[in-house]
Amino acid sequence: MADRIEGVKKLFTSKSARVDTNRGDAHYERLFQICQTRIEALKTQTPQQNRLHIDDLLEDQGISRRDFMKWASAVTGMLMLPSSFTPLVADAALLMNRAPVIWIELSDCAGNTEAILRSDGPKIDEILLDIISLEFNETIMSASGHQAEKQLEDAMHTFKDKYLLFVEGAIPMGLDGQYGTIGAHAETFYDHLMRISKHAAAVVAVGSCATFGGVPAASPNPTQAVGVMDVLKGKPLINIPACPANPANMVGVIIHYILTGQIPELDSLLRPKFAFGYRIHDNCERRAHFDAGEFVEEWGDDGAKNNFCLYKVGCKGPMTFNNCSIIRYNEGVNWPIGVGRGCIGCSEPDFWDKYAYERPMADANIKAPTGGVEKTVDEFGLGLLTAAGIGIGIHAAASLAAGKKEESGEA
Amino acid sequence: MKPEYKQVKRMTTFMRINHWVVAICMVAAVITGLYIGHPYYQTYIADPAVDKYVMAWNRWIHFMVAIIFDVSSIVIAYLYFFSRFEKPYKKLIPTAANLKEFFEVILNLVTLNRRKKFDSTHSDSFNTVFFLVFHLMLVWMLLTGLQLYVHGLASGLSSIGNWWPWMLHLVTDWTVPVSGWLIGTTAPTASIMDVRVSHHLTMWLILVWVAFHIYYQVWRTIYWKEGDISIVVGGSKFVKDDKA
Repeated sequence: MADRIEGVKKLFTSKSARVDTNRGDAHYERLFQICQTRIEALKTQTPQQNRLHIDDLLEDQGISRRDFMKWASAVTGMLMLPSSFTPLVADAALLMNRAPVIWIELSDCAGNTEAILRSDGPKIDEILLDIISLEFNETIMSASGHQAEKQLEDAMHTFKDKYLLFVEGAIPMGLDGQYGTIGAHAETFYDHLMRISKHAAAVVAVGSCATFGGVPAASPNPTQAVGVMDVLKGKPLINIPACPANPANMVGVIIHYILTGQIPELDSLLRPKFAFGYRIHDNCERRAHFDAGEFVEEWGDDGAKNNFCLYKVGCKGPMTFNNCSIIRYNEGVNWPIGVGRGCIGCSEPDFWDKYAYERPMADANIKAPTGGVEKTVDEFGLGLLTAAGIGIGIHAAASLAAGKKEESGEA
Repeated sequence: MKPEYKQVKRMTTFMRINHWVVAICMVAAVITGLYIGHPYYQTYIADPAVDKYVMAWNRWIHFMVAIIFDVSSIVIAYLYFFSRFEKPYKKLIPTAANLKEFFEVILNLVTLNRRKKFDSTHSDSFNTVFFLVFHLMLVWMLLTGLQLYVHGLASGLSSIGNWWPWMLHLVTDWTVPVSGWLIGTTAPTASIMDVRVSHHLTMWLILVWVAFHIYYQVWRTIYWKEGDISIVVGGSKFVKDDKA
């Protein structure tokens, strides 16, 4: 009963995607003071183990101070702060090596790590992720086996209750979690996550698998995979979904944490509102074609050549919340709709089954609640209507026959 | 000798106007809603976009009829309890008399009018329950529709004030988990797409309801011989004198 009451409470108090972009001067002045005090305090601390300096890195990559400040003002805008915060954001970026980060991988393809590592040329977002104090990351660390486990233990011990835990990948819960184990002791992913998250300052679930289960949790979900938020309770948790998550949003979350010492404002799915408070559709460059009813009917037709709206070939922009139509990927190079294919809703829950089917929802096969035959909603609906029509026909014919009999009986 | 017939008033002028407003709105909502779900006709590629605006008009009509529908629903919900003409909620309370009438009306339908042991002069409890199902489906369409609509107001701003998206979120956000449950999603977290599927599916259920509703009213008119079909036009039907 208590569970139910909690459930109903949650239902009616769930936070929505509303974004309050102007909270008044008083609020921002107070916030500025808090952030400034915090930044000054951080400056007095020595960096953690990462000795790289951002100025050197930027110079090595041929990025000028001016470019860096342009980036800082863009991030200030992305975090929905007034432009007066730009110097603070720049300072926070320089201090990113003060935040120890442990990055673990569970049921995933390492796509989020790859998204950071394999950009065409490292841009400021990617460089920043180089200078964070990354204490543990399976993909890019040189240690392996027992050495790697030792590294993890050390990091967890040294930065107890201070480190940010980045989780990439879903957690398989079937077979007592034995679908995924890690290390020489065959620790299940679930135990692994629980052990490491216990002394984390906050947990950041990166990518759709870690947030909502993603592809591993797609139907029929043989490993019963779930996202971090389904198993982790009592810890500050930030979800950064998308497949892969945009490095800009990861940097945004870390900078916000360094700047304020707090996690950013989240929506009902625990996604930062600064990144997921906007619908792709509303900032899409092809939106005018949607309103005009100009659609790509099939790949390569005249509509496609004229950059028409991709709704009829399955674009899920109208149902997807993400900022990629604004900030795009790889430092603004391009994004899915920009290259001429629809959005697959990769930052929404259960996107593989419910969004990524490359045709409008009305034409997509939806699983029956029984898990049986897949039909489109329209096929199912037409089936219902036909059944009702047949029923009506039979009743009408029977009534007609019965009526005639009655008349002849009377006569 | 021909029996004498008496006129019985069944629908007030307002109820009849409401019926036809709702009927027209529904046809418009289905036509435009199907287009929104899957644009089923194309625009001329040679026309400049500014002359077309086809999806936008479809959505405009869809939202306009939806709002008319919503307001009508609120009035009907009020009349359920406070109508001076006839309070439908009285026929929904499962009293012995109402239950008996409910099953007698079903028996009348399945025995092809061989058995008719209830008073057909007034609104019967079977039809009232049948309409309640319709009204519940409409309320569901209203709530899921507004939930889908409020996503276009992601900034939290609206031309009629910020209270509007705020209120829509407050009143309709719960339809997301409930839609997920209704369509039997296996995913750990429900999403807007579940609301969309539910909204689209409920349209088909309403169409099935409409098919039966039209058939049943015509069937009553033919077999009861009391002119039921004219209720919705003139407001009254005609019953044999000994009954009325």
